[in-house]
Amino acid sequence: MSQNEKRSSSPAGKPHAGPGSRGRGGMHAHMFAEKPKDAKSTLKRLIRYLGSDKKLLLALMVIVLLVTLLTLAGPALQAKAIDAITIVTTGETPRLHVDFSALFRALVLLVSVYIFTALLTYFQGIWAAKLSQNTVRTMRSDLFSKICRLPLRYIDTHPHGDIMSRMTNDVENIANTVSQSLTSMISGLLTIIGTLVVMLLYSPLMTLVSLITIPLTLLLSRGMARFMKKYFVKQQALLGELNGQVEEMVTGYKTVVAYGYEKKAIAKFNAMSDDFRKNSILAQFFGTVISPLMNLISNLGFLLIAVVGGSLAIKGAITVGVIQAFLVYSRQFSRPINELANLYAQILTAIAGAERVFAVMDEPSEPATGTLVPSTVKGKIEFRNVFFSYDPGKPVLKGLNLSVQPGQKVAIVGATGAGKTTIVNLLTRFYDIDDGEILIDGTPIKEFDRSALRKNIAIVLQDTVLFSDTIGYNIRYGRLDADMAHFENAAKASNAHIFIERLPQGYKTQLSESGANLSGGQRQLLSIARTVLADPRILILDEATSSVDTRTELHIQEAMMKLMENRTSLIIAHRLSTIRNADKIVVVDDGVVAEEGNHEELLARKGRYYRLYQTQYEGIAT
Amino acid sequence: MKKLIKYLKPYWYFAILSPLFMIGEVLIDLSQPTLMSRIVNEGVLQGNTPFVVRIGLTMLGLVALGGLFGTIAAYCSLNASQSFGNDLRKAAFSRVMSLSLEQTDTFTTGSLVTRLTNDITAVENVVSMMLRTFVRAPMNFIGGIVMALTISRKFSIVFLCLLPIELLIMILILRKASPLFNVVQTKLDKVNSVVQENVTGARVVKAYVREEYEEKRFGEANLDLSLATLKVQKLLSLAMPAMMIIMNAAVVAIILVGGYQIEAGNMQVGSVMAAITYAMQILFSLMMVGMMFSSISRAKASAIRILEVLNTEPVIQSGNKPVPAQWEGLTFENVVFSYPRAQGTPVLSNISFAVKPGETVAILGATGSGKTSLINLILRFYNPQSGRILWNGRDIAEYDLEALRGQIACVLQKSELFAGKVSDNIRWGRETATLEEIQQAATIAQADDFISAMPDGYDATIAEKGTSLSGGQKQRVSIARAIIRQAPLLIFDDSTSALDLGTESRLQKALKAHLKDTAVILIAQRVASVQNADRILLLEQGEIVDSGTHDELIQRSALYQEICASQQFQKEVRQ
Repeated sequence: MSQNEKRSSSPAGKPHAGPGSRGRGGMHAHMFAEKPKDAKSTLKRLIRYLGSDKKLLLALMVIVLLVTLLTLAGPALQAKAIDAITIVTTGETPRLHVDFSALFRALVLLVSVYIFTALLTYFQGIWAAKLSQNTVRTMRSDLFSKICRLPLRYIDTHPHGDIMSRMTNDVENIANTVSQSLTSMISGLLTIIGTLVVMLLYSPLMTLVSLITIPLTLLLSRGMARFMKKYFVKQQALLGELNGQVEEMVTGYKTVVAYGYEKKAIAKFNAMSDDFRKNSILAQFFGTVISPLMNLISNLGFLLIAVVGGSLAIKGAITVGVIQAFLVYSRQFSRPINELANLYAQILTAIAGAERVFAVMDEPSEPATGTLVPSTVKGKIEFRNVFFSYDPGKPVLKGLNLSVQPGQKVAIVGATGAGKTTIVNLLTRFYDIDDGEILIDGTPIKEFDRSALRKNIAIVLQDTVLFSDTIGYNIRYGRLDADMAHFENAAKASNAHIFIERLPQGYKTQLSESGANLSGGQRQLLSIARTVLADPRILILDEATSSVDTRTELHIQEAMMKLMENRTSLIIAHRLSTIRNADKIVVVDDGVVAEEGNHEELLARKGRYYRLYQTQYEGIAT
Repeated sequence: MKKLIKYLKPYWYFAILSPLFMIGEVLIDLSQPTLMSRIVNEGVLQGNTPFVVRIGLTMLGLVALGGLFGTIAAYCSLNASQSFGNDLRKAAFSRVMSLSLEQTDTFTTGSLVTRLTNDITAVENVVSMMLRTFVRAPMNFIGGIVMALTISRKFSIVFLCLLPIELLIMILILRKASPLFNVVQTKLDKVNSVVQENVTGARVVKAYVREEYEEKRFGEANLDLSLATLKVQKLLSLAMPAMMIIMNAAVVAIILVGGYQIEAGNMQVGSVMAAITYAMQILFSLMMVGMMFSSISRAKASAIRILEVLNTEPVIQSGNKPVPAQWEGLTFENVVFSYPRAQGTPVLSNISFAVKPGETVAILGATGSGKTSLINLILRFYNPQSGRILWNGRDIAEYDLEALRGQIACVLQKSELFAGKVSDNIRWGRETATLEEIQQAATIAQADDFISAMPDGYDATIAEKGTSLSGGQKQRVSIARAIIRQAPLLIFDDSTSALDLGTESRLQKALKAHLKDTAVILIAQRVASVQNADRILLLEQGEIVDSGTHDELIQRSALYQEICASQQFQKEVRQ
């Protein structure tokens, strides 16, 4: 029976505060607060995702239609069965008589309808699940592909938590809405229409009586929803703050403890938590009040039907069976209306989520690449009058000129913020230049296929990025087809082998959260091993040696010297040793190359490099 | 689950009132089908409209009363469950804030955040649901059976046949589904972690041109998640039709039994209708109980995870001695240390040294030689395995922990900043600091220049985890935070690594000039950073192999010479 089936869906109050809301600060605020900006086109796009498997969608539609029709037939057959009982024999004293053959006929029909309905309901459930899973899987994978191809500018300028929340919260929201709402929405609409038709067929007058309470239901649910929304918005915002506080304090726990901030953190958290409690009681309370009120209205409807139906039955206008049917229908009618009212909020949330997902998908990918695929580059690098700014109006590079010969080792030095890292970002086309030209082997890098370009360049970054996988896998990232011998060699060459061997599981050691179980130096060594394995023509070291201690660095230096042979190398380093070993030192200052030459030449010039050198090494260099 | 219930105790009156009012509501609910059947039997069939109206109004009145009871019950249960969740959340958070570092490390950040948010919400929801359905469902169940049997004992055969079947189906499905829920959660975590890695590691993915590879990796995780979810949903899709068949079988059976009873003249039509309603109610309440058990079993995992936090006793216990106002020195006496659960040679062995007020002691050593561990011991993040660390001659374990840490200002290797103003971040060091003092500290830390250059200066907001600042800027803000503490002991744990050469040397000069009486423990990688220290400790594989001034060490220590050589200072020294 459909009314019992439907009762299991969540009551009006609390569909949005469930445990599903994972993740952290800020992003929760979107859930209720955000109204879709262009609901229509977003919905269209969402439907296109749904319709990618047209056969499945069609099959589901048909089955929902059938189930709804059968559900409607239930009460009618039940009424027939009851009517078989109520036939009153004309005689001295009217008494009930059961027309058993009619009863059996009705019951057999009823049983077969029920069995058939159950069977179809099963398939409806499975197909709806399949549809929703297919939809979100495609959506997730489209979104992921997009994330992989977003320009770094986007990733650098957007909070990672926000990008993550689109993949998790928003897509999850859509998945739930699709699997839960799609069928209930269709069957709800069909039920309303179907019930209305059947009721009209039975008795237009009784239909009118049944409908009297509907406007009341609508008015109430709309009013309540508006009232609740206010508190739900606040609840989500508070939840976001709460999560943010936990995450921040736990992430920075060492600092919290070192500065004795625990008590203050607790006090702040408690205040937030109390606030959240107060607000969520209110929000959910208004959600729960709605159901007794609805219950009251539906009972009023019930009573109206009984009174009017009763007097009609006395006049012989309708049978008692019809009254029974109407009693069932009136509930069947008001329930989907309540549900659709609830679904409306959920669908709005899902559309808002879809909008956020599509917003990322609509971001331009990394700009179109050239087509040139060099088999190997020689490694000549030229920057010609390069201008670049991260924020418009705040230029970082202001006409930088730089020329590196194949196989040359160039050290880039300069103060923090002088634009050293930017040079790396531009050469690898993480960012594209505003003006000027960057050439490799005399060809502007814009003409190269971007992947082919990057395959010829390997970088060791300031912050080591490791993946939560085995150590072996993390090294193999440099070259996927490398075998065990290859990456062991690479590890040996970068002196990572020794510490890896000492780990109980060796190369199969599983790294926790981005390698948190390794020391900074060890992480660095792994990332160097990865670079060694990649075997690039152009090598970029971005302050990579700064967290490796000096002794280990000595060994790394050897490996690096070997690696740098016959390779063009750009090194952003603080170490004098690295700088002095370079073929050329480039001093970057205020977005241009201020000085270049080798160590002795630059010292002799007594310019910027000399002063830099003095401030660091005075006291020793005597 | 049971252990968490004690957090409900302070709200026992709500927790008891809620079911009480619920009983009222359920009783009224139960009376409804009888009233309805009377309306049909005695009113509609007899043509007694005034009776219909009278009973109908009684019914409406009761429904209103029931609704009122229900509302009060809901308010009570919400109050109880939300307050319960609130207390639990607070307890868990303050427990986390009291844990020792090794413990938060083993939990990992991500898992602690989930435990404090998602898991608590899950348990809170179950408590709220339990308060509401724990009474309602069984009462509906028993009440339904009683009422149906009052109409006619003959219906008992229907329930006797169908109830065990429903129970069996429910148990079977639940038993199969609950492990699958865990599987889905694990797969979801995997998907999330791949996304996270690709967002934070975008540079590496792009640099190695691994977009397609990552897509494949994600595709696998995505498909896994999809299939696991589908499996659960397929199983659950089975539940609904199965329950429907049983419910409808009950309806058919009741009509049949009712038919015979009516024919025999023992029953009226209205009674059959009422019996149908009760049958629905009985079977439905059984389903509710089933759903409740499924939620409880799902929340059980959450409860266990919360309890793990609550039951973790902080390893480091505070002493009770107040910390003396005048600091006289810190001494390590034969300290041995290894990380808990770690095997093999200790991280630190036989460490002995002393730091006096105004002294600068530098610690130099290779990666993994135990430098940071040494700092962790001073701050009592960990306890030494043996040996003593003395503050004014007394073991630091005897002092009040907070007061002890209050005497130490430490710039950690990883500079953690918090969302908020720059000035507030510096004020972490000392809450009472004035803006002038903050500016002064920032000037010493070489941070004043860039802070003043920001549009809002010291009022500029730092984004979460300080992502709006560069590595060097973050380090300088955290140095200012340590300086403003005006503690007698200042520790730098390799915390100038992101500063360029010039800035670091200016910082060192400013420190010397302004903090003459402050003792400094300095961990650094560059010889240049440590050469002016009063004493340099050379740490190798957890042992102090030599100590002395730069001049002494350069003469006698091969290790120190090697370190200098690696930085190519030898030539300069000889010149």
